[in-house]
Parts: sequence; structure tokens; C-alpha cells
Amino acid sequence: MSAGRRDLLVCLLLAGAMALLPQLVGTRYVVTQSTLFFIWAVVVSQWNLVFGVAGIFSLAQMALFAVGAYATAMLGYYFAVPMVVAMPLAALVSVAVSLVVGLACLRLRGPYVALLTLAIAQVLYLVVVNDTDCFTNPPSGCMPFFGGVRGFSRFGDLGFRALLGSKWYVAHYYVGLGLLTLAMLFSIAIVRGPLGLAFQALRDNPGYARSRGVGQFKYQLWVFGLSAFFTGLAGAFYGVQFGVVGPIVFSLATLLFLLSMMVVGGLGTVWGPLLGAALLMLADEGMREVGDWRDIGLGVILVLFVVLLPRGLAGLRLRGVSKAKQS
Amino acid sequence: MNVAIQILSSGLTLGAIYALSTIGLSLVYGSLNMLNMAHGALLALGGYVCFYVMGVLGLPGLLGVPAAMLVCGLAGFVVYQLAARPMLASGGFETRIFIATIGIGAILGNVIQRSFGPQPVAQPLALHGALVLGEVYVPYQNLLILFVSVAMMAVVALLLGRTRVGRAIRATAQNRDAAQLMGIRIGRVYAQVLALSGALAALSGILISSLSGLLPNMGGDPMLKAFVICIVAGLGNVFGAVVAAFLLGLLEALIQYLLGVQYSFAILLLIVIAVLIWRPAGLFGRRQVVRL
Amino acid sequence: MSALLTLERVSAGYGHQQVIRDLSLALGEGQLAALIGPNGHGKTTLLRTISGLLHPSGGTIALEGRRLDRLRPDQIVEAGIIHVPQGDLLFPEMTVLENLRMGAYLPEAAREEARRLEEVFALFPKLRDRQGQLAGTLSGGERRMVGIGRGLMAGGRLLMLDEPSLGLAPIVIDQIYEAIATLRASGRSVLIVEENAMRIAELADVLHLLDNGSFAWSGSGAELLSRPESLAAYLGA
Ligand SMILES: Nc1ncnc2c1ncn2[C@@H]1O[C@H](COP(=O)(O)OP(=O)(O)OP(=O)(O)O)[C@@H](O)[C@H]1O
Ligand SMILES: [Mg+2]
Repeated sequence: MSAGRRDLLVCLLLAGAMALLPQLVGTRYVVTQSTLFFIWAVVVSQWNLVFGVAGIFSLAQMALFAVGAYATAMLGYYFAVPMVVAMPLAALVSVAVSLVVGLACLRLRGPYVALLTLAIAQVLYLVVVNDTDCFTNPPSGCMPFFGGVRGFSRFGDLGFRALLGSKWYVAHYYVGLGLLTLAMLFSIAIVRGPLGLAFQALRDNPGYARSRGVGQFKYQLWVFGLSAFFTGLAGAFYGVQFGVVGPIVFSLATLLFLLSMMVVGGLGTVWGPLLGAALLMLADEGMREVGDWRDIGLGVILVLFVVLLPRGLAGLRLRGVSKAKQS
Repeated sequence: MNVAIQILSSGLTLGAIYALSTIGLSLVYGSLNMLNMAHGALLALGGYVCFYVMGVLGLPGLLGVPAAMLVCGLAGFVVYQLAARPMLASGGFETRIFIATIGIGAILGNVIQRSFGPQPVAQPLALHGALVLGEVYVPYQNLLILFVSVAMMAVVALLLGRTRVGRAIRATAQNRDAAQLMGIRIGRVYAQVLALSGALAALSGILISSLSGLLPNMGGDPMLKAFVICIVAGLGNVFGAVVAAFLLGLLEALIQYLLGVQYSFAILLLIVIAVLIWRPAGLFGRRQVVRL
Repeated sequence: MSALLTLERVSAGYGHQQVIRDLSLALGEGQLAALIGPNGHGKTTLLRTISGLLHPSGGTIALEGRRLDRLRPDQIVEAGIIHVPQGDLLFPEMTVLENLRMGAYLPEAAREEARRLEEVFALFPKLRDRQGQLAGTLSGGERRMVGIGRGLMAGGRLLMLDEPSLGLAPIVIDQIYEAIATLRASGRSVLIVEENAMRIAELADVLHLLDNGSFAWSGSGAELLSRPESLAAYLGA
């Protein structure tokens, strides 16, 4: 069985198994936390395509996520667009923004890309937070165009609250699961498909690949733009799930959390980031007891992994396999 | 005329602060190809150590500043030993150390927050009063900042240009293998550069906090700006970084005056992107080397 | 003859790829030994292993009986092995003079700096006029002179030169060879990598032909010159 088919099978089996979870464990907390896991898993799976597969050292992923969330909220808030329409529209806005960022950054060398994308994310944050002029004046008080520090709320939902009452969160669980499944299928298609092969070639032998007409810039821009779609969609769904979109989505702590997921799981692999996302959500859950130490714990995990186990847990398994093959 | 003096005064002050935090970053990148994302946390650490020595222990500023520089220099050394050294020889160093220092910065920032609380405090090391030039007030604090930065830059220039340690640093940055073949112990050079960068960060953090107060995450924006300056100058180009720091400081003061504070960073960034599209290796960047 | 440098069954390479295999070598005090052999067969790798830039994966390296194979490059320089690398590796943003002075970085060499500088200028008079020029702007021939001169500034017990005539015009090669002959006459121990076997054979006490990571032939210059045809196959001459 080819690697692509195997991944496909694993993906469908996992999705099927996860679909049973709300039937088995009914508690609301577990279900909503799993929904959050789906959202983060979508983001890291796409970030992994950009960073681990295409080799673009971009830190703009959370900014693209935020663009998706904000675009959804603003479409709903200002134009009363139904969320089912607003979400894919917002994802397209993320794609557009990512293409602009990509055109500006992708011709530069690795560290320049990292710093510029980080700076762009910070500028977006500052624009949102520093813009204090009232755009509208609803009864709840002054509302800046980008929502200011308070952000947006009451911009609409997917309609499950009306349909299912207090059980709406179960429906969101399935929406999240569906999103993640789509994102994973897309990931597999990229990693195992022609784009993945092109990047493999570029990594293994840059000179040769280039001489055969494999232009890095073009492929990188493709991956950057396409992965922004699911990232933006995840952001849009995040907004709908929590009913609030504020500047907290830009926070460095979230960026750190997601970066840790990728690094712990294994950059550049299909399943590593998913594994990392699951483990870090669990670790985070475990550290909830110790409150303030949580962020320090996450930092320590990240540093330990980059220093001692740079290829992550998936890399550990790969190494085991190649050793077994040699002997 | 008065407006010009005002802009010049605040622009030069900003530039001086940026230059100081940029030199350290640039040196570290030039020698090790390491982007130190913990730099922002080191700025804050320096500010808080000075605050602790002066404000809590009640000792004079003449002790607070060197104490802060010592602590941050040591922190830089520890970052080298624990994070950079183990991965130097293996592949993907540039990316890995970037991620590792993000983590270290987060740890350090949280430790500071736990020790000193999340609320802002004032930096005790501050001069009051102002120099009156016509109708313009130039605060003594600004003059102090300018003086300290320029003096510190002169010290660094002398160190790099005239001392044995400085020769070793420059040689290592220009050619790692050749430096080793001259008998330079590059591991020690790396440790020295990170310690030096930490000490400079402390000083810079103290100056920044003397203007805007202390906050556990106060280093984030200055660090990002310092990196932007490094990019404009070409990563690793120390002299270019100083020039770019003053240019951007003046530019920021001008934008702030014309358009208001909230847009200054965004516009700064647009300019930087334009510069990079025009010259992808930075304004003065030919290669990544430590130059004087 | 007491050996200055001894290599015993040394192996080295990059990652999983082994380039040097089980190689042994003894170099006497005051000898000029040449490593010859086709491109890509590990000559540079061998020198980098001796000077500690690469760690051998097996075997021992010793200078006058003192083990060197676990030491850092700076310790090996201190022990007295000076390596003038292939491609010069100058400090491009330093002047010629600064580059030369970097050669005398270690305290012991620094004490001799002024005297050695005069020696280098005597050997390469052209460098005296170029002292203030940035090394990055020099011509290929001038660069080579600075590279060799920088190595001489260090003094040391053994000088290793990696292809000192590579890529130079014939007239500059003559100058470089003249300098090598002067070094030889002054009794320095030299290990030199050279593609041009016939030319170095005139100067060298002993030649080693490196083929695929180990020595395929060793002998004196006279032997090589007397029956060159047997080696022609290896050297592709
Ligand atoms: N840094 C490196 N990483 C991996 N392989 C290397 C590295 N440097 C050299 N090699 C390989 O090791 C082998 C020997 O190279 P080396 O430079 O020692 O050859 P050489 O005999 O000096 O050749 P030349 O005469 O062209 O200088 C070559 O196949 C080369 O591709
Ligand atoms: Mg060679």
C-alpha cells in the first residue's frame, strides 16, 4: 500500500472513531475541548504544510487565523451575513491576505521571513487595538471599526442553538471534526502529491531541482495561499464556536502553544502535528491545576524538544523504522 | 523650527535606544547565525533587576545598572550553554535556535511576571527636569539616554576594533573555520558574544523603562523594532544597524508627529517591506558579517 | 628518523559517508611530504581531520607522540599544526595586515609578530604595498599569498598547505613555488596537497597518492619522476 493510501485510510478510520466520541462520553466539557482541539489541529496541520513541508519559516499563521475570525465577525456584525456564507468568505479573505504577505516575504531568506511575518502579525494586532475612533455607536457603547480591545460579539451563529437548544455544542463538534478531516485530506494531498515531491526534491538537491525548472517561489506561494484557506476557516469557526472575536487571538501565548504542538509532534510529517496537538492539549489540561506555571511549563516543553528531540515524536518513530530496516 | 527640535530630540532618543538593543542582536546573528527571540525578555529582566536593586533594596543607581548588566550577561551565557551549544553542530540550527529562544523568552517573561506582578511600575533610575531650548523642553532624561547610548556604542566599537576579544569575534563572524584555524576557541567567542549582548540588552531595557515604565512584556515591541532595524541594515551588519536605528528613530518621531502614535509601527513596517523588495539583503547588507 | 606527525588507521567522513579509510601516515621532522590524487578523493578531508575541523571516526593522530584526535581545532593549532585551507578562507572584511596579524593570534605567536611579518613581506613583497586593502577585494593570487602568509605568521611545528597553486596563473604559481622552496630550504616540516604531481615531485621528499580514501602508492619524488607512466592512470595526466 502506498504511503498516500495508508494515510488516507488512517484519516478516515480516525474520523470515524472520533465521530463516536460524543455518543460515548457525553460530558459537555470533553466535547467542547475536543472541538477546540479540532480547531487547533486544523491550524497546526496547515502551518506544518507551510513550515515543515514547504520550508517557509512563517510566523503569520495565527494572524491568518485571526483574519478569518475577524472577517467572519465583521461580515456578521456589519452586514448580517449568515455565518454559513460568512465563514467561507472569510477564509477567502485569509487567502487574499496570505498572498499579499507571501508576495512581500517569500523571496527573502529564512530568518528574514520569520521576522517579517512576526512583525506583520504584530502590526495587525496594533491596528486592531490602537484604533479607538468610534465607527458605530450601538447601545452597548462605542464600537471601533475593528472592534478595539473588546472585540466583536453577537454577530450570529450557525443556527444550531435554535435547532438543538442546549445540545448545540454537539453539532459544533461534528462541524469541527468535518473541518479537520478536510484539512487532513488536503494535507495528505499536498505531502504525498506533486507539490510535496517538488519540495522534497528542493530539500534534497536544490541546485538540480532548480535546473529542472522547479521554481521554489511559485510552489511556496501556492502552499502558502492554499493553507491559508483552512487556517482562515478554522479562525472563522473559532469565532462562531465562542461567539466572541477579540485581539486575544493574536496573543503570543497562543502562537507559542501551536508552535509547540508542531515541534513536539514532528515538523514536516503528516501525523506529527496532530499528535502534538493532542498531547499538548492534554498536557495543558494536566497543568491547569498549577495555574500560573502553565505557560512556563509549555515553554520548558518547547525548549526541551527543540534542543533534545528536534524531529519530534514522529521523528523518533521514523528513526526506529530506519534502524530496523538497516539491521 | 521648534517642531524640528522637538522631532529631532525625540527621534534621536528613540534612535539611541533602538541602536543599543540592536547592536547586541546584530552581533549575535553575525557570529552565530542566531536570532535571539529571548532578547525582549532580557530587556525586561534588565529593567526589573535595576528596579529591584534601587527600588526594593534601596541601593544607588550606580549599583543597579551594573547589577542588571551582570545578571543579563549571565542569562545570555546560560542561553548559549543550555540551548545554542547543544545544537550548534547539527543541522537546521538557525530555525531551531529561533524556536528555542521563543520558548526561553516565554519562560523568562513568565518568571518575571510571577516575581514582580503584571501591573506596571516606574523605573526609579530617571532624571527629572529639562533643558530649555527657546520654547522647546528637552528632558534631561532624553539627554542622558543619548549620552549613555553613544558612550556604550563607543565602548563596543573599541572592544570590537581594538581588543583581542574583539578581533576574535570579528574573525569568527567572517569565517568560522578560518577563525578556528587561527587558534580561536569559537565556543568561547559565542559565549562572550551572547553575554555581551545580554549586558547591552540590560542597559537598553533600563533606558526604555525609564521612559515608559516597567511591564513584564515591555521587551516585545522594542525587540521587534530592533529586529526590523537589523533587517533594514542587513542582518549581522553592526555599523549599518546603528545608522539604521537612528534613521528609523527619526522617521518614527516624524510619523508620530504627523499621523499619531498608533500608525507609526505600521508605516515603519511598510517602509521596511518596500526596502526589502528593493534590496533583499538589506540597505547595507552585502554579506552577513560583523563589520565596523 | 623520528616521526613528527603520525596517523594510524584513521577514518573520517561526513555523516554516514566515509571518505578517509584506515589511513596511516608518518611524517618526519623537516620533511616536505606531498599528498597527490584526483579530485574528490579526500585530500582536503584528511587535512581537515588532522587540524580538528572534522573528528575522525576511528584511528589515532599524534604530534610527537601527543594524541591530537580528540582535541579542538584551537588546541591543535596551539600544539603546532598550522593549516592553510583550500580556497584561502580569508577574513574578507579585514585588511591584509589584519588578516596576517590574525595568524599570530595565539600569545606565543603574537610575541614573534613583528619579526614574522617582515619574513612574510620578504617572501611576498607585493603584500607590503597592499597592507591596507580589504582582503575581500584582492585578486586571486594576492589572496593566496595572504592565506599562506597568514599561516606562516602562526609559526608552529608543521605547516599544511591545501592546493596552494590551484586556480592561479603560471607566473603566480612560479612565485608560490619559489616561496615553498624557500620554506623547504629553511628546514620547515610541510605537508602539501597538490594536484600537479610532476611539479611537486621535484621538491618533495616523499609523495603519497590518495585514491578513494587510502594511499595507493607512496614513494620519493625521484621514483615518481623516473617512472611516471605507472601513475598516469591514477592522475589522469
Ligand atoms: N561538508 C561536506 N559534506 C559532505 N560531503 C563532503 C563535504 N566536504 C566534502 N565532501 C565529500 O567528500 C569527498 C572528498 O572531498 P575532499 O574535499 O576531501 O576532496 P579533495 O581530494 O580535497 O578534492 P579536490 O582536489 O577537488 O579539492 C567528496 O566526495 C566530497 O563531495
Ligand atoms: Mg581539496
